[in-house]
Amino acid sequence: MNKYITAIFVLMISFTSIAHGNKDHGNKDKQAIVDIITSIKYGWENGDGTPFRKNFLDFKGARYIEGGGQNKGLDSLVTHHVEPEKGAMEYMKLDFSDIEVHFEGKNKEFAWAIADTRFKGKVKESGRELDKSGYQTFLFRKIDDEWKVVHSHSSGRDKK
Amino acid sequence: MKIIPIIITIVSLVTLTMSNNSIAYTNDAKKLSSYDENSGLQSDAGKVVIQFHQAIQKSYKQKARSFLAEDVIIYEGGRVERSADDYANHHMLADMDYLADMNIEILEHRVTVSGDLAYSMSRTKLMGKVDGKKIEQEGMETMILLKKEGKWKISHIHWSH
Repeated sequence: MNKYITAIFVLMISFTSIAHGNKDHGNKDKQAIVDIITSIKYGWENGDGTPFRKNFLDFKGARYIEGGGQNKGLDSLVTHHVEPEKGAMEYMKLDFSDIEVHFEGKNKEFAWAIADTRFKGKVKESGRELDKSGYQTFLFRKIDDEWKVVHSHSSGRDKK
Repeated sequence: MKIIPIIITIVSLVTLTMSNNSIAYTNDAKKLSSYDENSGLQSDAGKVVIQFHQAIQKSYKQKARSFLAEDVIIYEGGRVERSADDYANHHMLADMDYLADMNIEILEHRVTVSGDLAYSMSRTKLMGKVDGKKIEQEGMETMILLKKEGKWKISHIHWSH
């Protein structure tokens, strides 16, 4: 009888550990992506290129689309967009909400995330107040066990 | 009756071995994963994107609809549509009307394929007249395609200008 109980116990543990392993792995990956998006928010709001340089994959052909224009490569995004924008704004606030993350590929090594966006700010020079709502798409690849942004696309329009 | 615990034990060991193998396989795949940026418009996924563009421009409603996954999510002009039916019955018709008389110049288009997933990025210049008003604008497009049951379908589109 003890043999039965031991064998069933081993069987239950093996199935449970597989199920938990997959779930924990998925939650960990999702959290990693949400953390990257949070760091991107911080980067935009503070004119800090560090989160971009850490989490974006720098490669030939990289394109990051922001507000109707595109940045060719990571350095262009940071030096022409992220850093100078903070200096031009009296204040700026960017929020991502309703973040959806989709994992794809045989080994779930690709992910795409979409989110609603809200941007508020005031231009120093003109005093113009900005209030825009829109959408964001991020594409991620898992490289050496780290998620990297390989493409981003944001668009928005004046909040009515 | 002695055979029952033996069978249960064997099943347990096989299950454990399979789980270990799958972990090992995943780790190998991670090591081998490399970024492929050389795939292009000639790929099957790239052809789907081009055919979708052509179908929209030529107002082929059924054909355009056929390239979309049922649960496609489309961001366009500050709006979102969350199914192929939603898009096909609403903004697709307006997009077709808008693009029918436009001159479209492709400035840049790249499609990257990785297994059963592909993404497309393109930049176009639109020129024409709408209600007598001259239009000249640059359009940006991001698409995500997934291959299911051997067919590439568009799962996400983000359009902006």
